[in-house]
Amino acid sequence: MQITLVQGLLIALLVFICAFDKHMETFMWFRPLVVAFFTGIILGDVQLGMQAGAVAELSYLGLLTVGGTVPPDPLFAGLMTTVLAYTTGCDVNTALGLAVPFALIGQWINTGTNTFYAGFLPKVDKCAAAGDEKGIAKVMYTGWILYAAMFALAAFLSTYALQSGISAFVAAFPQWLVHGFEVAGGLMPAVGLALLLVVMLKKENAAYLLAGFVIMVITNCQNILPIAVIAGCIAYVNFTRDLETAKLTAASAATAAQEGDFEDGI
Amino acid sequence: MASNKITKKDLNEMAVRSMAEQCCFSFERMQAVGFCYGMTKCFRKIHGDNNEEMAAAMENNLDFINTEPHMAAILQGLIVSMEEAGQNREMIHSLKTGLFGPLAGLGDAIWWYTAMPIIASICCSLATQNNVLGPIFYILFWALTAIFSRIWFVRLGYNAGVSSIKFIGDNAAYISKAAGILGVMVVGGLIPSYVSFAFPETLVISSVSVQGIFDSIMPNILPLGFVFLLYWLFKKKNVNTMKLILLVIALSVALSFLGIM
Repeated sequence: MQITLVQGLLIALLVFICAFDKHMETFMWFRPLVVAFFTGIILGDVQLGMQAGAVAELSYLGLLTVGGTVPPDPLFAGLMTTVLAYTTGCDVNTALGLAVPFALIGQWINTGTNTFYAGFLPKVDKCAAAGDEKGIAKVMYTGWILYAAMFALAAFLSTYALQSGISAFVAAFPQWLVHGFEVAGGLMPAVGLALLLVVMLKKENAAYLLAGFVIMVITNCQNILPIAVIAGCIAYVNFTRDLETAKLTAASAATAAQEGDFEDGI
Repeated sequence: MASNKITKKDLNEMAVRSMAEQCCFSFERMQAVGFCYGMTKCFRKIHGDNNEEMAAAMENNLDFINTEPHMAAILQGLIVSMEEAGQNREMIHSLKTGLFGPLAGLGDAIWWYTAMPIIASICCSLATQNNVLGPIFYILFWALTAIFSRIWFVRLGYNAGVSSIKFIGDNAAYISKAAGILGVMVVGGLIPSYVSFAFPETLVISSVSVQGIFDSIMPNILPLGFVFLLYWLFKKKNVNTMKLILLVIALSVALSFLGIM
């Protein structure tokens, strides 16, 4: 299916808004589920948007900006998974794999601004020294809008301008390659979950990973909420116990110190 | 805090401005610009036309800071209350530097590693059933938490004073640990539902289905094993995210080409 010029411009506007939010990471409009949902509305296929958004959201779950490292971009992943499924007519899992190079474009813009915006700092310092808070705000808004505009431009080019080239390219793929990307789409959430575990998994909580896994396997429940509730109960019990232990340790340390004083006194 | 120049309205406005905490992010000083911007209006109210004091207050908050965007509101509330009370700027500064790390760890654990996977998985399962409530609930949840958590956090920081914030900082380890248990257990539950790794029924070795062998050991053991393979590559072999994604694609294409997937 073709993307019209109007749709291309609407997508650019949508990406501008989402990237504006991505710069501050406040309303989560840059997450694939939201981007893909609105892209689906623009393209006139909401169901496709939601299917694409769901697979992309889960695959990019663990790919978070941690400690200044910039991961492949979730905004472009959500956008391009939907757009590629729409223009080439392939399965959303296949589109997710094909969208990876575009997620890189977003990553480059991000790394670029993170580096380039250090150049704004001398100006900010000068404003601060002069007690000029409006000057600081002006610099900040410049950086903010520039960031969103670059995303919007990149989105317009990769959706509207490149579409026929991409469709022809994908149409030339043999069946095993298309199916390979579909398999990759099914495996990709493992990347997100593994990356989450790299940050979260510790000796003290590793047992709960297996517990959660086994509960899901044996109940075959399609909803994560029951497990979240059980996990919340366990976390709460642990927390109160830890606080109590800390209190007891502090108390016994104080008693020990007192006894020590007493003995020294003798 | 004898002088009460800062009103509830000012605090609410700071909560809104606090949303821009991460703006103009640069590798050199990370969130410095947005973090300072959030407080400038309150600083101006405290210092009035005194530009020298204003400059000193802003410069005190323009160096390296990297914390979690929701949690920054607590720090901003605290700093404004100290600035209003006319406390020593060096103390404000060292407090800020000492607290942003623990608050970042706490915030990441709560918002990004726990709330995000839970909300995402609930909303995605609705979305895959073609239910528009999936994305709508996702948008609403984050919009409401973005606004109300900041309004609450700014007040918490402003009213609680140094000792209470120190208490949160001191107990951050326990809260993070509890959030870690919650998050890890949820991730465990997500593995069988969202990672699909299964050999086709047609793949048999001496008339026994390969997938059947794995299922008889433990259903979904392949997805679990695959997640741990990636975990091991990332953690022990220092393979970066991009290489990991490309590896997954290459492996899938290879398996597809050989006809065993």
